[in-house]
Amino acid sequence: METTPLRCLILACGNPLRGDDGVGPHLAAWAEERFVGTPGLRIISRQQWTPELAADLAQAEAAIFIDCSVAMPPGTTILAQVAPARKTDAPATHQLDATELLELTNELYASLPRSALLLTIGAGSVELHEGFSEAVAAALPAAQTLLEETVLRLLGKTQPV
Amino acid sequence: MSQTITIDPVTRLEGHGKITIQLNGQGEVEDAHFHVTQVRGFERFSEGRPFYEMPSLMARICGICPVSHLLASAKACEAIMSVQIPYTASQLRQMLNLAQMVQSHALSFFYLSSPDLLLGMESDPKLRNILGVAAAKPELGRAGVALRRFGQTIIELLGSKRVHPGWVIPGGVTEPLSSSTRDEILALIPEAYANLDLAFDAYKKIGDSFKQEIEVFANFPSNYLSLINEDESIEFTDGALRLIDAHGQIIEDGITASRYAEIIGEAVEPYSYTKFAYYKPLGYPEGSYRVGPLARLNIVKSMGTPRADKELLEFKQLAQGPVESSFHYHHARLVEMIYGVEKIERILADPKILDKHVRATAGVNRLEGSGQAEAPRGTLHHHYKVDEDGKITWANLVIATGQNNKAMNLGILQAARHYVKDGKFTEGTLNRIEAVIRTFDPCLSCSTHALGQMPLELTLLSPAGELLDRLTR
Repeated sequence: METTPLRCLILACGNPLRGDDGVGPHLAAWAEERFVGTPGLRIISRQQWTPELAADLAQAEAAIFIDCSVAMPPGTTILAQVAPARKTDAPATHQLDATELLELTNELYASLPRSALLLTIGAGSVELHEGFSEAVAAALPAAQTLLEETVLRLLGKTQPV
Repeated sequence: MSQTITIDPVTRLEGHGKITIQLNGQGEVEDAHFHVTQVRGFERFSEGRPFYEMPSLMARICGICPVSHLLASAKACEAIMSVQIPYTASQLRQMLNLAQMVQSHALSFFYLSSPDLLLGMESDPKLRNILGVAAAKPELGRAGVALRRFGQTIIELLGSKRVHPGWVIPGGVTEPLSSSTRDEILALIPEAYANLDLAFDAYKKIGDSFKQEIEVFANFPSNYLSLINEDESIEFTDGALRLIDAHGQIIEDGITASRYAEIIGEAVEPYSYTKFAYYKPLGYPEGSYRVGPLARLNIVKSMGTPRADKELLEFKQLAQGPVESSFHYHHARLVEMIYGVEKIERILADPKILDKHVRATAGVNRLEGSGQAEAPRGTLHHHYKVDEDGKITWANLVIATGQNNKAMNLGILQAARHYVKDGKFTEGTLNRIEAVIRTFDPCLSCSTHALGQMPLELTLLSPAGELLDRLTR
């Protein structure tokens, strides 16, 4: 049983078989390598965010969600605060978004991360194929740097781990 | 003038479907259909693949019950190989199957159906979902999340992934169980029991609130089919098929996987991509039957574990003879969940569970093989033919949801005739009709149609809902 406080939870979402939709799992895998053995950090990568993840979120002091968006220009990278909200009248049980998952966490566990961020990368193509579009591939180094800095900040580290 | 009511999509189901209700000129319900609108094609595109790829390929049919497909497929492959897998492998597979059953039933009960059961069929649709349950009954919401995690964690510990696990292969499993993994799973058991106690407690309190639904939610006599052990206890992974009639009398018994095609046929209707299974000697649709938790509990005489046996006794008191109302699928799921946890605990207590011999190996020794297992939703069959090189030349899957298909259609017709009067209906009415389907917990992603031409019916309605033309292929 994990006894170290969960300082930072990374929740990535996406399907590596659907082009740029795989950028979330890619960044999660990168973070696994970059922060291997770091106490207080947990990284979970899923194809969809499902209600069971509320139990992990409830334990976390901070959370970083990672996903792509077809509504943003390809390769655009945005890190923004995200708050609990109920966006639709019919949340999909198999596929909640970050705001709905936070809302569910709050309702179930009366607990929320003190800081919740959503790292979104604009998707060029989410058609069936492996690999990223040029724009997303070009954006990856900056996205990794942003993710690294954010994780370090949330872990309260001033020096690289 | 006639009118068609369409519920599209049907909500809180696994997969995509729609319901149409046809009214006559007097506003009375004339007919109702449940349409499965997905096409998957696994039976066709697996042709040409090596047979040993089939379990991992077939597991991709579904994200909720991939283990069922892994197991039925592996068993079909083992029939081709003519091997019997080691005892320990059989027990490990049982544990994997039960873990899947628990998490799948938890999804159905807590996420998909509890909004209706706990908040009410007529409750505000904006709140009648998992977020609404979390707000109103957080303790039960947490129990549901925990039971899902229980099953998924075991699947991940055994198969490395919680969705589409590996580990199950033709001949057995790839790795034996370590003592540390065994202990990790055992540590999860007490909380699972506690959460099931909460669920039973909550469900038994609300039962009386749904007397009308119990009466009209696919409540009719039918035949029932499931696997069963020789001692007439419940079985999810091995055993043989038993079919009983509406009075509980045995029609067929001891049907092994290689003989399923003797008794099970599949019909096609123009309004759905899901096939309609039936008992061949009675023909279609008279030979229709039900599968899944309700059928299993109607067929077996015992669960074989103490808490589940106690609950089975109580379940069987719901009726004299087979329990007919599909509303009671919800109750049956809870009974099966407690059995699953108890059985997992029992399997882990067996010292042989750590044995290293977990795989048999062989090549092609037969050109045809069948495998069957109980998926959470009911009996699942995989049937393959191969060439001498072991390449698949033909595959047929008989999916649980297809075996409940006729009952689901009759069920929504029954409910629609009860709740839709004079052409009038409310949102709660439509929710109740959807809820009939939810009692069956269909897995629409699994129910594929691939043989021959795809059925298609195009219905042309006037703006006023009048039928102008119909085209059938």
